Amino acid sequence: MNIFLVLVKKEIKELLTLQVILSIAAMLVVFQVIGKSVGSQNRSTASRNGLVTVDLDRSALSRRLISALAEAGYEIKPSAERGIEAALAAPAQAAENSFLLIPAGLEKTVNSGKKSRVEFYSRFKKNASGLGPVLAASRTRKAVAVVSGELSYHVLERRVPGVPPALLRNPAPALEFAVVDGRAVEVPLSQVVAFIQSQTYFFPVAVFFIVILSAQMIMTSVAGEKENKTLETLLSSPIDRRLLVMSKLTASAVIAAALSAAYMLGMRSFMSGITAETSLGAAAGTAAAGPALAKLGLLITPSGYFLIGVSVLFCILCALSIAFILGVLSEDLKSTQAMMTPLMMALMLSYLLPIFIDLSSANFGIKFLLYAIPFTHAFMAPQNMMMGNTAQVLRGIAYQAAIFTVCVFYAAKLFSGEDLLTMRLKFGRKK
Amino acid sequence: MNAVEIKDLVKKYSDFEAVSGLTFDVREGEIFALVGPNGVGKSTTLKTIATILAPTSGSVSVFGLDTARDAHGVREIISYLPEEAGAYKNLTGKDYLDFMALVFLRDRKKAAAAVAFGSELSGLKDRLDDKVKTYSKGMTRKLLLARAVMIKPKLAILDEPTSGLDIVNGYEIRNTIKQLAAGGMTFLISSHNMSEIEFLSGRIGVINKGKLLACDTPDALKSRFSTGDLEEVFIKLTQ
Repeated sequence: MNIFLVLVKKEIKELLTLQVILSIAAMLVVFQVIGKSVGSQNRSTASRNGLVTVDLDRSALSRRLISALAEAGYEIKPSAERGIEAALAAPAQAAENSFLLIPAGLEKTVNSGKKSRVEFYSRFKKNASGLGPVLAASRTRKAVAVVSGELSYHVLERRVPGVPPALLRNPAPALEFAVVDGRAVEVPLSQVVAFIQSQTYFFPVAVFFIVILSAQMIMTSVAGEKENKTLETLLSSPIDRRLLVMSKLTASAVIAAALSAAYMLGMRSFMSGITAETSLGAAAGTAAAGPALAKLGLLITPSGYFLIGVSVLFCILCALSIAFILGVLSEDLKSTQAMMTPLMMALMLSYLLPIFIDLSSANFGIKFLLYAIPFTHAFMAPQNMMMGNTAQVLRGIAYQAAIFTVCVFYAAKLFSGEDLLTMRLKFGRKK
Repeated sequence: MNAVEIKDLVKKYSDFEAVSGLTFDVREGEIFALVGPNGVGKSTTLKTIATILAPTSGSVSVFGLDTARDAHGVREIISYLPEEAGAYKNLTGKDYLDFMALVFLRDRKKAAAAVAFGSELSGLKDRLDDKVKTYSKGMTRKLLLARAVMIKPKLAILDEPTSGLDIVNGYEIRNTIKQLAAGGMTFLISSHNMSEIEFLSGRIGVINKGKLLACDTPDALKSRFSTGDLEEVFIKLTQ
């Protein structure tokens, strides 16, 4: 007999409870949902390859550039407008995000051996999320390369003597403009995308960990009191039971508030780091992203920070109140791990899905699921504030407050009766 | 007035009847012991008297106060020590007594007096300044017993007060209960230790499967079953 195998078998039996199996199955479901949603969203995003062209030159060269872009797979949507502002504002192009402006006199300038320019405009939607901005920036980069290559061929084909190599290589450099809420500012798109991503990746990660930490804290506290039977002693005391609930939530909320404050301080440091970095880039001769981001209205104001903080605080309070109820349902400290599963699933969905999919164009089911999870509103708050979508943040806070209130009432109800001691979720085991 | 009066108490959980029509009373100032095999409804009965559980049917009153209708009033005059209860591990013994005295008495002066009494009862002396997590099981149980009786409740409900303790700690706790009962405090205890029951209690209630099988003094029960051994009485009643 192999005693090692006997020991391993016993350990597996101890560890692999029905709760653990259910947790694993739940996680598989979550990732399946995320995978499917992201896949379908990405396919639909990838199929959107439209490029609005505003051709003010109307020359053979401009037609050649547009034709090259079409050959490269872009769906060309010619605009009849006589300027980029009008094209951006035209209702027919309201859904389009990528624009190319070919200025009047391009062919003439290039043919005369002088440097010209083309302009690319990328529009960032107010309520967009997901990989959209990254994919749009990538499409623009590709279009810049196509246009630049075609312009080089054009100059080379003309075999004009004495043309400087720099001009041969790039006769009409592409200027990149970001457009937010009708405002167009010249700024490298990569920097705008990096800035937006800093909101969608870094901040939710911080919130994610704070929520998990706070939820585990209160769930362990409640389940621990049940297991140690210190709770029974308190329940037999003449103290109002609602006070017991409120004291636990208040203590956890105080710690959560401290965590939120730390989070906001960290966020400010991170933001100042980003701004400083982009300013250095400006000193090196590239566009000054900091002021450009400010002109676009992307930099968050102090009141914006405050609202984000409130949203994060309510997110934590919601998690605390839900975790409190789950703690009551836990049989003991060990089972709190499994009881965390619903909370973890909701957190993972609300954290991961908005990173990969554009909520503004997602189907109703996904949208409903995500906005029903109170944590999503905190994850989206920085991006919404950055895009000036204050109303959405306020709606999110109101919803979070409502969920928190309902959960607190339910927790108080559980504490007022004997359910606290008799109610628990059993996983297949009868007592 | 009886300290406790239980009439036709029934307590059902979702798919299980833990107590099935229990009737007995506890007289003021006596030590009453509830005995029975494991899982027959002793702890459920004690929790119902302690207002933690609500009766499914029947009635429970403590010094004339109905536990269902006047739970708050009952909680003002009782103290309950659950079986295998713990204390807050990161508090010192003294802090734990301070906290509990304030929770139960809600008056700093009364609480201070209660803590002084509890500290002496616990016998833990300087160790009261150490965190509870450094205590042995016996020390923790003595602290908890001190907590339960320091507020001088009219009725102390103790579920297995000496369970798992060594001979010395068990002996000390039994003596403390006896002394406090002599001072007029009423005790309702549950235990599996028949010699402890015989030493402590004025009357014994034997229950099995949620029903009362017998209720009398230890001597009367022994005489009824013609034996000098209380354990034999218990076995004859419950088998």
